[in-house]
Amino acid sequence: MNNKNRFALVSTLALLAALQAHADTSGKALVKGHEYMAVTNTPNNLHLIDLKTESVYKTCEMPDRFGPGTLFISPDKTRAYVLNNNYRDIYGVELDTCKQVFHARLAQKAGEDARSMFSFTVSADGKELYAVANPMQRAIDHYVVGEPRMQVYSTDAGLDAKLLRSFPVPRQSYVMQAADDGSLYLAGPDIYKIDPKTGERTVALASRNWQRPGYSAPDVLYFWPHQQPNRDFTLLYTAARFADEKQDPETAEYLYGYMNINLKTGKTEVRDFAPLTELYFTGLRSPKDPNLMYGVLNRLTKYDIAKQQLIKAQELDHSYYCIAFNHAGDKVYLAGTFNDIGIHDAESLEKIGSIKLPGGDMAVSTTQVFIR
Amino acid sequence: MKATRIWRYLSAGALAMTAFGVLQPALAADGKALLEAKCKVCHLPDDNGVQRRIGYQRKTPEGWLMTIARMQIMHGLEISDDDRRTLVKYLADTQGLAPAEAEGLRYAMERRLNTIEEFDTQSKEMCGRCHSPSRFALQRRTAKEWEHLVHFHLGQWPSLEYQAMSRDRDWLELALKEMVPTLAERYGLDDPAWSKWQQERPAPTALVGRWSFSGHMPTRGDLHGVMSVEGGEGDNFRISLDGRYADGKPFKGKGSAILFTGHEWRANVEIDGVAMRQVFSVVNGEMKGRMFETEHDERGLDFVAAKSDQARLLAVQPEFLKAGEEAELTLVGSGLSGKPDFGPGVQLVKVLEQSPERLVVKVRAAADAAPGSREVKLGKLSGPSLAVYKRIDEVKVVPGYAIARIGDNGGATPKVQGRFEAEGWATDAAGKAYRVGILPASWSVEPFNERAAEDEDVKFAGVMQKDGVFLPGDAGPNPARRMSTNNAGNLKVIAEVEDGGQTLKGEGQLIVTVQRWNNPPLP
Repeated sequence: MNNKNRFALVSTLALLAALQAHADTSGKALVKGHEYMAVTNTPNNLHLIDLKTESVYKTCEMPDRFGPGTLFISPDKTRAYVLNNNYRDIYGVELDTCKQVFHARLAQKAGEDARSMFSFTVSADGKELYAVANPMQRAIDHYVVGEPRMQVYSTDAGLDAKLLRSFPVPRQSYVMQAADDGSLYLAGPDIYKIDPKTGERTVALASRNWQRPGYSAPDVLYFWPHQQPNRDFTLLYTAARFADEKQDPETAEYLYGYMNINLKTGKTEVRDFAPLTELYFTGLRSPKDPNLMYGVLNRLTKYDIAKQQLIKAQELDHSYYCIAFNHAGDKVYLAGTFNDIGIHDAESLEKIGSIKLPGGDMAVSTTQVFIR
Repeated sequence: MKATRIWRYLSAGALAMTAFGVLQPALAADGKALLEAKCKVCHLPDDNGVQRRIGYQRKTPEGWLMTIARMQIMHGLEISDDDRRTLVKYLADTQGLAPAEAEGLRYAMERRLNTIEEFDTQSKEMCGRCHSPSRFALQRRTAKEWEHLVHFHLGQWPSLEYQAMSRDRDWLELALKEMVPTLAERYGLDDPAWSKWQQERPAPTALVGRWSFSGHMPTRGDLHGVMSVEGGEGDNFRISLDGRYADGKPFKGKGSAILFTGHEWRANVEIDGVAMRQVFSVVNGEMKGRMFETEHDERGLDFVAAKSDQARLLAVQPEFLKAGEEAELTLVGSGLSGKPDFGPGVQLVKVLEQSPERLVVKVRAAADAAPGSREVKLGKLSGPSLAVYKRIDEVKVVPGYAIARIGDNGGATPKVQGRFEAEGWATDAAGKAYRVGILPASWSVEPFNERAAEDEDVKFAGVMQKDGVFLPGDAGPNPARRMSTNNAGNLKVIAEVEDGGQTLKGEGQLIVTVQRWNNPPLP
């Protein structure tokens, strides 16, 4: 065997070994009581990271195309639901086996294209899955944009899930989460409380239409529906607070704030927490101390909410989009953009480690932390 | 990826042929047949016998090219490059824009990508936040067609109603109820200008002959010469340019051109070994527009030409004269004869050279010549002006706000340079500021603000050359920078001009940013 062939054989064996190793993890069951973090990345991965060892525990291969990879963990922690295939399909994956157990294509008829802008969730009892579809009908020589609709599925509808029911919802809807009382909170022009049985809708929190004296309407761009252990559904906003009735943007103060709905109690909250000095893609309150707000994009920061004061800021080696805490609240995990997850000490904000993921960009994926 | 490749190819001169004679003239009959063969599968005739969608739109050659390319990229249209050319030609000829309809918007076709566009706020927010509003302003459609366009946009890009300047409003409602009527009124399908142009458009053979041209290439200077145009069959021409820069260096080359819509002149030429494009409008014996390098459209020149059978004065080079000094001026035009009149205080010393296309004179400006801009006359001809000045009062960097882009470094996208000139301004007796012209300057860059200083943008974003050309940095993450960011930057561009013992400083802003990945013919 010449050297060239020998090299080729060695490479092939290495590749096979790598594939073998990769394939091996899919059947590894999660361990009850262990804390995991789920995240997706390109080209088609769903990773489960063991937060005790801070390493990739297993990787499930997802079908079809990646994007956006937004995911929810079922309330019984046995499944992940992932929005993928360029915003067009929702897949349910059994975490212990990596087996696909649910698949819903959002488009409902021939010639229809329907995409969900991060807008789906699973009910608190795990029985139903909700998704907002933004439909577009392709005619032979033109498109017709249709009215967005909430599509309701049974989570045991299998791989060709059919609708249980559907009803219209406002345009420009995005993230949503399901409350313990069975209602659904959907962020759109305002944040709506929806009865998923009837489609009846009220405004839970005004957003575009809020009436806060002296404030501009808030700007909200929030595509990371974190499932928090304390059942908070949190979104960040920015807004201007004007000096007087003239509403001069030059003299206004620009602020960061959060909107919060507790999915257990239904309690809502809108609160400024900082002057707007830099942008954050995500922000979450500490599980240890709800007066602490952490934000991330180009820096990791920590604010005292009551004082509206920056406590600490940590420079980062690159941008991160998505923040998460472990249950203890002593560690912060930064994901999104590349394929490395930064581990930071929640107290000092210093970087204490990194988890390198197989595959590529995590893009706008949401990390979900849960205990099996 | 596919889209990027196709735009790179298309922007490299797909509207004009590379070699005359290789292609057959695009006959109208071929175009009509192709339209039937390639488009009718989806675009059936409606009750009026008009081909759906296509028959209710008019646009520029670039506009039609982009439409057909989108059909290729998004809808599986299979068409050869030759057939696509024929189809674009046919559609631009039969459903194009009259010269008056494209006026004020030619910068988009001419690839003047540093243009600060003037549009109403709603158009800018609803459409112009993603692409140049010239894209729709260079189209004519029925109200129904504008409505289809809205549905196409939101259907194709559902995220658009979530973006900034969308998510604060009911975008679709505003688009359908406010933008559509506005667009239908401003840019409706039927326009008297178009019917008039269809009657008036001259035969292509009217373009054959000698054209005297004048140009200005930023950072390189003035130039002039003669462009010979031959052919004309099927709107195809052979052209050759014979000119020179103000410093005497030649500007010579050959190429081929196609005339669309009776006035939209598109040519590929090779000038001194460099591939260039011409994007002109030719009306009433005058050609006007921009020539630019095929691979670097930021490198180009303003161009104006007059046909030999039309007496016209195009330019005076240079366009300024200092009081109390003697200088050589070149008048460029066609049918030039007689002696020029530069107005009081400017004396014609000697005619150095005279031809119908070029008149070189020596002039002297009296020390007390009135400062200001004055019209130059040559017999009955006039047009260009000469600025007489005593001292420069202000220096402006042009463009005052510009974009350069990182590139190369193994990537598919070349760097886009910044190119700056120093424009002198003076004050006339009435206290009014007037433009003197482009003056030699020393160039430098500084951080635009504190942030740029902190991030060392001057060090990383690129290099300002002596001639006002800024060479941006390499593409890709740079590990030497904070957060491994790329070589983007925010710079102050500084020009220093010496005049009468004083140094005047002008400032502009240069944003060095990332590659333009999607780079279709109309921005």
